[in-house]
Amino acid sequence: MASESRFGSILSSESIKVISESIGISGLADEAASFLSEDISYRLKLIVQEAEKLRQHGRRTKLTCLDFDQALQIKNVEPIYGHTNKDGYIPFRHASGGGREIFFTEEKEVDLHAVVADPLPKIPNDVTLKAHWLSIDGVQPALPENPPPATKDLQKQEILDTSLKSGGNRQLKRPHLDANKHKHHNKHKEAVMLKNLATHELSVEQQYYYKEITESCVGPDEQKRSEALQSLQFDPGLHQMLPRFVAFASEGVKINAVQNNLALLIYLMRMVKSLLDNQTIYLDKYLHDLLPTVMTCVVSRQLCLRPDMDNHWALRDFAARLVAQICRNYSNNTNNIQARVTKKFSKAIQSENVALATQYGALAGLGELGPEVIKSCLLPYICILGDRIKSVNEGTALNSVDKIAAEHIKRQLLKYLPAVLKTFHNSTETVDEFNVAYGYLGPMMFSMFSQKEKSLAATTSAVHQLAVPRSTLQLTQRPPQIVIQQQPSTPVPLISSPFLNPSPGLSSINTRPLSSLPSTPTGVPGQKFVIVSQTRPSTPIGTPTQAAPLVKLVTTQQSSLTTSISAGPQKIVVIQGGPKPEDSVGGGIRTTLLSGPPATTFVQQPSTTTSSNISGNDTL
Amino acid sequence: MAVNISEGSMIIKTEPDSDDSIPKSDKQTLLAVLQFLKKHNLKETEHLLKQEAKVTDDDLKTEDDKKTEVSQALAAVYKSDDDPSLYEDLYRDLKNFIDSCLDVHKVELSTILYPIFVHMYLELVYNDHEWNAAAFYSKFWQDQEEHRHEDLAKLSSVRSKEHMSGNQLLENFKTSKFVLRMSRDSYTHLKRHLQEKRLSPLLTIIQDHLFIDVFDGVPRTQQQILATSGGLLGEVDKDANKAKVFYGLLKEPDLNIQFDDEEEAAEGEEKPKKKKSKKDPLLMKKSKNDPNAPPLTRIPLPELKDQDHRERAIAYREAKKRVKLDHNHLPSICFYTFLNSYQGVTSVDISDDTSLLAAGFTDGNVRVWSLTPSKLREMKKPDDLDIIDKEADDVMERIFDDRSASDNKLLVGHHGAVYALSISPDRAYLLSSSDDGSIRLWSLLVWTNLVCYKGHNYPVWDVKFSPYGYYFVSAGQDRTARVWATDHYQPLRIFAGHLADVDCCQFHPNSNYVATGSSDKTVRLWDMLNGSCVRIMTGHKSTVHCLQFSPDGRYLAGGGADNVVVVWDLSTGAAVAQLKGHTGIVYSVCFSRDGAMLATGGLDDSIRLWDMQKILAEQDTEADTSIPSNVTVNDSPSLLLGTYLTKNSTILGLHFTRRNLLIGCGPYAAPT
Repeated sequence: MASESRFGSILSSESIKVISESIGISGLADEAASFLSEDISYRLKLIVQEAEKLRQHGRRTKLTCLDFDQALQIKNVEPIYGHTNKDGYIPFRHASGGGREIFFTEEKEVDLHAVVADPLPKIPNDVTLKAHWLSIDGVQPALPENPPPATKDLQKQEILDTSLKSGGNRQLKRPHLDANKHKHHNKHKEAVMLKNLATHELSVEQQYYYKEITESCVGPDEQKRSEALQSLQFDPGLHQMLPRFVAFASEGVKINAVQNNLALLIYLMRMVKSLLDNQTIYLDKYLHDLLPTVMTCVVSRQLCLRPDMDNHWALRDFAARLVAQICRNYSNNTNNIQARVTKKFSKAIQSENVALATQYGALAGLGELGPEVIKSCLLPYICILGDRIKSVNEGTALNSVDKIAAEHIKRQLLKYLPAVLKTFHNSTETVDEFNVAYGYLGPMMFSMFSQKEKSLAATTSAVHQLAVPRSTLQLTQRPPQIVIQQQPSTPVPLISSPFLNPSPGLSSINTRPLSSLPSTPTGVPGQKFVIVSQTRPSTPIGTPTQAAPLVKLVTTQQSSLTTSISAGPQKIVVIQGGPKPEDSVGGGIRTTLLSGPPATTFVQQPSTTTSSNISGNDTL
Repeated sequence: MAVNISEGSMIIKTEPDSDDSIPKSDKQTLLAVLQFLKKHNLKETEHLLKQEAKVTDDDLKTEDDKKTEVSQALAAVYKSDDDPSLYEDLYRDLKNFIDSCLDVHKVELSTILYPIFVHMYLELVYNDHEWNAAAFYSKFWQDQEEHRHEDLAKLSSVRSKEHMSGNQLLENFKTSKFVLRMSRDSYTHLKRHLQEKRLSPLLTIIQDHLFIDVFDGVPRTQQQILATSGGLLGEVDKDANKAKVFYGLLKEPDLNIQFDDEEEAAEGEEKPKKKKSKKDPLLMKKSKNDPNAPPLTRIPLPELKDQDHRERAIAYREAKKRVKLDHNHLPSICFYTFLNSYQGVTSVDISDDTSLLAAGFTDGNVRVWSLTPSKLREMKKPDDLDIIDKEADDVMERIFDDRSASDNKLLVGHHGAVYALSISPDRAYLLSSSDDGSIRLWSLLVWTNLVCYKGHNYPVWDVKFSPYGYYFVSAGQDRTARVWATDHYQPLRIFAGHLADVDCCQFHPNSNYVATGSSDKTVRLWDMLNGSCVRIMTGHKSTVHCLQFSPDGRYLAGGGADNVVVVWDLSTGAAVAQLKGHTGIVYSVCFSRDGAMLATGGLDDSIRLWDMQKILAEQDTEADTSIPSNVTVNDSPSLLLGTYLTKNSTILGLHFTRRNLLIGCGPYAAPT
């Protein structure tokens, strides 16, 4: 009741009247009621003040009914017997007679036979005393009895602490020669205050833990993986190893995006998700690594070897959710994460010459950020997107991958838009208006909008079911055609790295029990492989020479943990420079957000040389 | 043991001496009884008594009148005919004047605003200007310092004249003067302003309710003022802390030297270490005569028995093995957690030799645990004791019944929460104080209740044994602290003076003084010899919950509900350091055995260590503390040496073992 105390909060005289009626005094005069309310409020406050003392002496943080009773006793008032604190919920009844008033909790009638027949209830555990070391020579040991080594606030403090720390114990241990020199000595000490060099040494146990976790996260054993993810999600005290885990994820994504190793990308994203879900670690300072990593998985032009077959859409959706989670939890006025992310996504939507897969990712990213973002950053560009899809569907370019992408984009629109459209339009609008507003996608939008309306109406009045909602996805596309385009694939150096290890077969994606990732691939077996190579103005950047340093980094990381990661170039955050026009948008986003290592990761060449392309129908 | 202190001391007598009482007081008692009878409508008895005592109705009348007169006079303090709307202008005018002053004076003068605000509000309420009072309050309450808000909330609940009688807080404001200290310059500024403007209501308030203690010297800074402010009635005037305090330790009786020789023979190879420990100032002091120590016989102390000699020798030997603590050598902490306590633990105490731990619970039970491998045993029954060979060497071992051995013992007797426990230095007794208003003495040999001391009729917040045993002090909700001897059922001393609950108490290591902390936010030091208050120390901004003397007896540390720990120097009564860092009520403070470190713990589930050495090194001992502006209070954050968090366990007790291992204990609260 300290600082936010308000003057004169009192019971209303209406309450007093109600109370008085409940005890049989009706027709209390207004004046009397207001006088009573004032006086009763005052008395109540006095008693509560007294009860507050009892709480403090009871060493508790919560005031209990017993405190109040006791306070009444101290004030020489008969306490209200019979109701005690029962989980904060006090249904008590009142009985009077013989000049005494008693409050009691209503209890059910108990069948004595049942009580006798029942086995005796378990006796509550007796009070026990347990000793542990809270500190050994000033250092708190990491025991289960002790709280996790560093709380989130402490981690934050540690990271943000720019003040000078005492230069270690070396000076202090110097023998004191003369007591008279003591003062001088102190001054000397102050002069050589240095900030401690941050040495990131991991104990042997921690190194072992790191190895186990990372191996399980990307290894083939699903059981082990879920255990590892569990550990990352719930274990406190990971902050020491956080830089390593983040580096592992970001480096892993860099390489596997190049390699189009979908399975590993998914594993890494799940790892990032676990880290993000861990309540005990302070991730703010690693976002510059994490965000580009996740963004890559949302908008990269290609994430898998067979874009027409593999379900990289699910990965994009999953990663988009992660981006949204990061924005929700970490965006603030200083770092403006959400604004920057939104800008990138919406630029990708607007752009004409990015891959449709990238646009799909951007769409998912925006969609996950909520209706406000959809309204302001997506709806205005539906026209552009529509043109894009139109040109794919009606265009002459025979490109089934684009067609699949277009279908997915439509489906994605279907997922996010109806709810927003409902707030945006009213039911009187017609297809034409939608056509004007959204161009090519107008009819589809209208149909999904009206469907939403109808389903709403259907729920309100069942009679109102007029027409069966039309299927919202129109199969306007022409039968896809076969395209074979081969590019001289650049040989990828074969290095033994966990990221390049193709052992976890792509088939394992289908069996993964990750609920949030739809595991069935959209491509039906027997679907065509369409290898796309978009005409790009610039030559592919991914040359073996450029890829080499990146790969080297990984190998060193594997051999010695302590040196390579801190030495790695991953900590550079430069947020500037617009997307280079010649780059793909995926790459553009990546480079602008990260701009650390050169964007060698966006090698566009599919390394497989596909043999045949069979055309068929997209199953929807 | 002949203890006869009650003679010639200025204590408040609770028992009327029936034999040779003064007729006047006798008559008053009679009248009081008659009034009681009248009140309860016991007419016949009243009539009989009147006849017997030959009291006429007139006597009664006059007595009645006197009573009402007094209460009227008390209340009439606030009688004034001024225009209620004037107050607001006056207050604002005073504020503006203070704002316009030079910065040096501004800080000092602004301390006057709070008492003036309070008394203006009360005057408005008393004169039935309720609406004006409400408006006045809501306009200006936020101007008051943060630490006053707790009192202001209580003040604001008083909204009409009827509420004013019987309110403890208001009684305090009415009957006592609010003490302010300011430099002469500031004072003259204020005086000139008030006289120029002829602000008569203001002047009356200042004259009636304020006591301004003027000192010569430079005005104090904001920090200095804040360090000593907070008391319910302001600061302490300079005369309060003038009396000399014998804060030194008593000369220890010579110990049996043979123990030392024995040890020297056993640990011959560790000679360099021995030399070091001999330099230990604390051990030296005992053998030397401390100039600040009271005479040995100032307070009669129980004679030492053989058992005590043995005990002291053991303690001395243990102390030699003490770990030296400083900022480079932090102590280890062993934490005892109460599990399955359902948040029922309200108090703990650990015996001086760290062999016993006692805990009190909300349901009135007391439990004692053994912290050593040896179990707790009961003494044999009298018949069995008779057949023991009393000359045997191990008679102390033989008297116990091995069948009763257990890890912990339960003591049942109180019917209210047990708020404090204290184990006697010889570990034979345990004191417990409770919500039911009683203090109980338990035997730790036969494990039963021996005595129930009734005197406080209200909850007893704290009880502490004297470091020499026999005496103990209790503090209660009835605003008194009482000193008792275990063999007297009535208190030897009643220390009255605190304006609110006495929440904690502590015996000085030399057993000559008692410190008490109160809800009136002050700490007082009382002399056992004559019952007078020799020190009043301010600095806490809320209830004081724990007190501890430094091992050398010179410093006193207190922790309270304001989450701050304050260290005072008893030689002057001035605050030396303010330790801020806790985020919950501080329930426990403890000095390390060499006094180099202070450990504190409380409701925020953390134990914090503070550098006492640094505080002492940085204390300016030459400064003339009679001038408040010379006093500096160390509140540097670098004094904090370490913070150790528990996993959701409140810290209720802290204790340094004789070898300087820190023991903490508290109940674990499962997170909800």
